[in-house]
Amino acid sequence: MSLASAPVLDLAGLTVTYPGPPPVRAVDDLDLRLAPGRCLGVLGESGSGKTSLAKALLGLLPEARVEGRLRLAGRDLAGLDEAGWQAVRWRRLALVPQSTASLHPALSIGAQIAEPLRVHEGLARGEASARAAAALEDVGLGAAALERTPEELSGGQRRLALLAMALVLDPEVVVLDEPTAGLDLLSRARVLALLGRIRAAGTALLLITHDLDALRGLADDVAVLYRGWLAERGPAARVLDDPRAPFTWGLANAVPTLGDVKDLRGIRGAPPEPGEVVQGCPFLERCTQAVAACEQRRPPLVAPEGEDGARLVACARGGRVPVLRARGLAKAYRPRRGGRRRGEVAAVDDVSLEVGEGEAVGLVGPTGAGKSTLGQLLVRLVEPDAGSVELEGRDLLAARGADLAALRRRAQLLFQDPYEALSPRLSVAEAVREPLDVAGVGTPAERDAEVAGVLAEVRLPSSPAFAERRAHELSGGQLQRVALARALVLRPKLLVADESVAMLDPSEQTKLLALLRDLQVERGMAMVVVSHDLAVVLRVADRVVVLDEGRIVEEATGAELLAAPQHPLTAELLAAAGRPGALLGERSLARQAR
Amino acid sequence: MAERRRPAVSAALSGLTLAALVVLVFALPRALPGDPLAALDDPTSGVAITDPELRERVLAHYGLDQPLPEQFAGYVGGLATGDLGWSIARNAPVSGLVAAHLPWTLLLMGPALLLSTAASYVLGILAAWHRGRTGDRVALVGLTALRAIPEYVLATLLLIAFAVLLPVLPVGGARTPFAEHGSGLAALADVGAHLVLPLATLTLSLTATLFLLQRHTVVAVLGADHMLLAEAKGLPLRRRQFVHAGRSALLPLLTAVGLQVAFAAQGAVFVEAVFAYPGMGSLLLEAVAARDYPVLEGAFLVLALVVLAVNLLVDLAARWVDPRSAAS
Repeated sequence: MSLASAPVLDLAGLTVTYPGPPPVRAVDDLDLRLAPGRCLGVLGESGSGKTSLAKALLGLLPEARVEGRLRLAGRDLAGLDEAGWQAVRWRRLALVPQSTASLHPALSIGAQIAEPLRVHEGLARGEASARAAAALEDVGLGAAALERTPEELSGGQRRLALLAMALVLDPEVVVLDEPTAGLDLLSRARVLALLGRIRAAGTALLLITHDLDALRGLADDVAVLYRGWLAERGPAARVLDDPRAPFTWGLANAVPTLGDVKDLRGIRGAPPEPGEVVQGCPFLERCTQAVAACEQRRPPLVAPEGEDGARLVACARGGRVPVLRARGLAKAYRPRRGGRRRGEVAAVDDVSLEVGEGEAVGLVGPTGAGKSTLGQLLVRLVEPDAGSVELEGRDLLAARGADLAALRRRAQLLFQDPYEALSPRLSVAEAVREPLDVAGVGTPAERDAEVAGVLAEVRLPSSPAFAERRAHELSGGQLQRVALARALVLRPKLLVADESVAMLDPSEQTKLLALLRDLQVERGMAMVVVSHDLAVVLRVADRVVVLDEGRIVEEATGAELLAAPQHPLTAELLAAAGRPGALLGERSLARQAR
Repeated sequence: MAERRRPAVSAALSGLTLAALVVLVFALPRALPGDPLAALDDPTSGVAITDPELRERVLAHYGLDQPLPEQFAGYVGGLATGDLGWSIARNAPVSGLVAAHLPWTLLLMGPALLLSTAASYVLGILAAWHRGRTGDRVALVGLTALRAIPEYVLATLLLIAFAVLLPVLPVGGARTPFAEHGSGLAALADVGAHLVLPLATLTLSLTATLFLLQRHTVVAVLGADHMLLAEAKGLPLRRRQFVHAGRSALLPLLTAVGLQVAFAAQGAVFVEAVFAYPGMGSLLLEAVAARDYPVLEGAFLVLALVVLAVNLLVDLAARWVDPRSAAS
């Protein structure tokens, strides 16, 4: 490592334990490095140990045991005495605390900002005050704030004052704890621009935040904390745009962003209680792809398969696993008339598609684009002419007999018209139980319990009277839920929903889409949502695949599609979906009309 | 935090207080059993007047033969012209008596308030900072116990300890009687030596209450976010203690000091009695014994005015300490 990139802040095996009972390990074996002029983002839920980390860096944890290496510009901070810490604090390492109550309520802003200058640099009152005024100007608050008390400032203004205070001694490292929280968008942009400037001037920033957009713009590297433990670490672009740790993925899905119409999802469950000693992966209980190995021990940080090692992920399964991996799928229909072959119609032509754990991929395209055929190929309802389909790492097309039956149970298809999909002769309970009966799962009593559970999960009444009803006695929305329950009762890992909401009225549509999303959060299954309606797909899908004449013409996130559709067809679909100002689409429609 | 009033409202309220005070000061001595001329009726007192006509004339001389409303009107009329009345027992103007005694009381009360405020400010912060440790516990138990002891008991104990058993300080009075001091400085030292015990008594009993409050406030402040930031800023310990924690606790402390002023005045009366200190306390005590209405009225009124004035000063100090309290 060259001298220029020698880390100014170097943490290795940093562990913070609050004495019990029970002892709470707030920061657990943390390895982080921060070079001058760089910005390291630390991402995590509340209670993930971010604040303990910030306090440990400043030696502000006399009540806790801090172990591991903690170096500032090559000098060990661990074991510093009070005088030693006082020399480090603020002059070399300053903090922008999260709480705006960190300003002293009875002292003026000016006095509080000037205080470090007077104490550490021994400046006279007037000179310190002038520097404080300059610092306030820098953050865009203006020198008028000098004489104010915190009470006379808004929350956002207080945050700016705290920022000015942290920068006043020009420290080597600034630890920022949620610096953009509670700021209006203009102040936020100004703060981010200021942080960019001081980073460019060589100050190292440790940016602790939930604000993914801020991290995207500012952070060079991102570390993701879960329960004080590093779940993922690497270059910001990779970690944020292609998260691999299941926790990072969940967090990224829970963050609202501008320019995205996708509905937000949380992460199921809650982290272990502080003080609870976890043997295996701390994320285990909330992870939908956990296997037995996850319970054994804490996963080490490793590079995901096929990466260069710049990004490390702590997951026993090497990060989020692909549930479905289809390669080069092709299907052509050959209309036969009297045994004579005529021109083939390629319904699906060389399509490759990957869907990860907990991910929803939308398939859109005009009628006849091959969406439904592709959906059926993915669950092997139709045999492809060429290509491969892997389900949870196993070859679906090569499977035979019992293997195939077991694999089929893992992938389910939800049709457009539930009335056609459900037998009119079966009651609700019978229809939902049938897949279990066929697969021979458990005892009859267990199957009945399973049916009751899944009916509740799709929010259908669990009364015996309802369970005895037949298809013609149900509304369209109820029918589609019964069909969904039937698909879910075998606990599939992949659900292909083919125009499943198309026949429902808008209210039922909305409810069913919300239900699908909730189920996905709880079960972590992969979903392929086939629809001609781009608006529907953009709501649900993490990624959208646009099909035209059996080929993928565009593949992007919803936000990317909305911002800049690349293919004329996409633009057309956007225009058709009522996207205002989709000029590209309107132009192409006009072209077609001519 | 108590809402601070606007000046006009403040003045109106002060006026009302004053009016109530004048009525009380007039009524209370008259509610006591006995009257100023009781001694004149006592055949054993040596000044007994047996002649009813003479007695009537004496009563008329002091205006005591008139109905209470007229006595009150006369009293208020006198007050309006700055006349506090004439002492019946001492046969001297009340204003002169008050002028002779008040400085001694102020000399006792003022420093006692300042010292107890300063001591509880510092001790409260240190005890809170080291809460749970030996020093804190000793201070806590000691001052709680002290709070339970009445001033006159404490005064007596100190008197026995430092003037009798260990006679390093004078037993009583404010000056050594008939002493000729070579210089002003020596005279001052004499006054100081006499002041030590009364002042110590009053300061200690005031500190007990203020300390407990200060300690409590500072303990609550220690966990505040701004205390953590002060430490993060690398500020020296003393600055964090006495500027950051102390500043937050100063306003409640000053409010309490305002409330303590009346107790200080009352305490001074008792303490003066024990040490035969020639302040307002001694004056009052003698006046009560003699049912000397004009002196009682005058002394009470002046003491009450002192309490109001000191409260006003504390209020101003609070505004200066915490701009928030002046804002509304």
